[in-house]
Amino acid sequence: MNRIPFALLTLFLPLFLTSTVRGSEAPDITVETASGWIIHVHSDISPLRINEMHSWRIKVLDSESEPVTNASISVEGGMPDHDHGLPTRPRITSEIRPGTYLLQGIRFHMPGKWECKFIITAGTRQEIGLAEFEL
Amino acid sequence: MNKRLIIIILIGSLTIILGFLLTVDRTENWSQAEIELLKSLSLSALPAVPPDPSNIFADDEAAARLGHALYFDVRLSGNGTVSCATCHQPTRYFTDGLKLAVGTSVGLRHTPSLIGLSYSPWFYWDGRKDSQWSQALAPIETPHEHNSSRLEIAQLIVGDQTYRKNYETIFGALPHIPESPTTASPLGDDEDLKGWKTLSKLKQSQVTEIFSNVGKALAAYQRKLIPGQSRFDFYIDELEDTGKRSSLQLSEDELAGLSLFIGKAQCVSCHNGPLLTNHDFHNTGVLTISGQLPSMGRYEGIRLAREDSFNCLGEYSDAKKEDCLELEFAQDSNDLVGAQKTPTLRNVAETAPYMHGGQFDSLSEVISHYNEAPTSLLSHNEAKPLKLKNVELIQLLALMHTFTAPLATATKWLRPPE
Repeated sequence: MNRIPFALLTLFLPLFLTSTVRGSEAPDITVETASGWIIHVHSDISPLRINEMHSWRIKVLDSESEPVTNASISVEGGMPDHDHGLPTRPRITSEIRPGTYLLQGIRFHMPGKWECKFIITAGTRQEIGLAEFEL
Repeated sequence: MNKRLIIIILIGSLTIILGFLLTVDRTENWSQAEIELLKSLSLSALPAVPPDPSNIFADDEAAARLGHALYFDVRLSGNGTVSCATCHQPTRYFTDGLKLAVGTSVGLRHTPSLIGLSYSPWFYWDGRKDSQWSQALAPIETPHEHNSSRLEIAQLIVGDQTYRKNYETIFGALPHIPESPTTASPLGDDEDLKGWKTLSKLKQSQVTEIFSNVGKALAAYQRKLIPGQSRFDFYIDELEDTGKRSSLQLSEDELAGLSLFIGKAQCVSCHNGPLLTNHDFHNTGVLTISGQLPSMGRYEGIRLAREDSFNCLGEYSDAKKEDCLELEFAQDSNDLVGAQKTPTLRNVAETAPYMHGGQFDSLSEVISHYNEAPTSLLSHNEAKPLKLKNVELIQLLALMHTFTAPLATATKWLRPPE
């Protein structure tokens, strides 16, 4: 095999792998809280990218893998390297099915390292999950 | 060895060296992630101008033609000398070359370029307007800009036969607009307010509707102002095309500048996407404008946008509530104190001076400012010192000149209509 086709194959291999993962509806972000609750984030733009207003579906499962319903969720975030928060003020607008919440109004405006904190209050419990990701 | 043989060997060697230099593929210098990032900066990645649900006439050609005529018309000012083109001059990439804009008198901010602005969800340095049409209205009633009033604009549209005909074709029949008072607005000085009170609620509403439609026509025109591809874009586009040699488009200094731009100098943090701006707001520790209090920037801008009667949720907007996501979910935290909007870097070498108050005369000063990242007087400077060497500052400056190109806009839009 000559050099160029081999280089091209190497170049596109990650794309094929990514497509396979996307096709299986894998979450864009998964976070575990201290008590073992799992937060799955499915973005309506995938892969996540900057400068596009979009929504997230946030699925919350407790440590028994049961959906956490009627929860109140707030999402905070920012870029620690630049000392600033999110450029928008996203919020949960509905629980679209038991344990899955719609977060509207999220947008990132810079490439680099981002943090998102999910504060989940359900009954008397409060759980916090922290996601770190690179855009 | 005879002389002829030496000459043949020399010519042959030079040919081989030259051939090697010309076939060196600079793409080998970029990682796959860098190539992806560079491709995101090319104008080839720029989508069509996004729809503006708040302006159903945004892409109406007749509205753009009306807006074109209004844009260059000095009758849109109180003293008959100022048009939109006075500050946003087509020959200067829709800027004016001044530190602070001069309309009917000296203003408070530096004139930003209008090129590619239709892609932005926010307008003005502090983002106090959330649509291009509502932005276009504000200078008309600002004393140091056009110093006119919405009643005078309505009287002009009704009284000028060409405007009247074109307006009615687009927006429908015009109501009767009284010739007296001569000025009236709910936002102006005592005389404007006095005149406004003499109008019935119905007349006030009709005048404001004509005024808002003038803004919508001006926005339809401004949506035509799109940047053209520069050497920067040609270079990036050729990175995708292995059949061409990308190395011919940019010089060594420019290429080094590009590497800094997306790397160590972190310019791409805010100057990203094909328009080289994220259309967002940042405090970068720029000095206060001489003679003015420090600007609260976006912190105040978002509050003004929410109160604006011409915003996306207002009665003159064509948008449904669910279309107004930017306004609904806008951030308003303390982070935004002193934050100003990121301007496009397209044609930046031709649009001096720089920053929201024209604080810097040259690009060298701007680059040095970011290299030093001084403490901000208000809140905090998001940028950190870059510690670039002098030669790197020069390389970044060289890159800035590759963003210049003639607009991708038909020339008929760049001069007053015939």
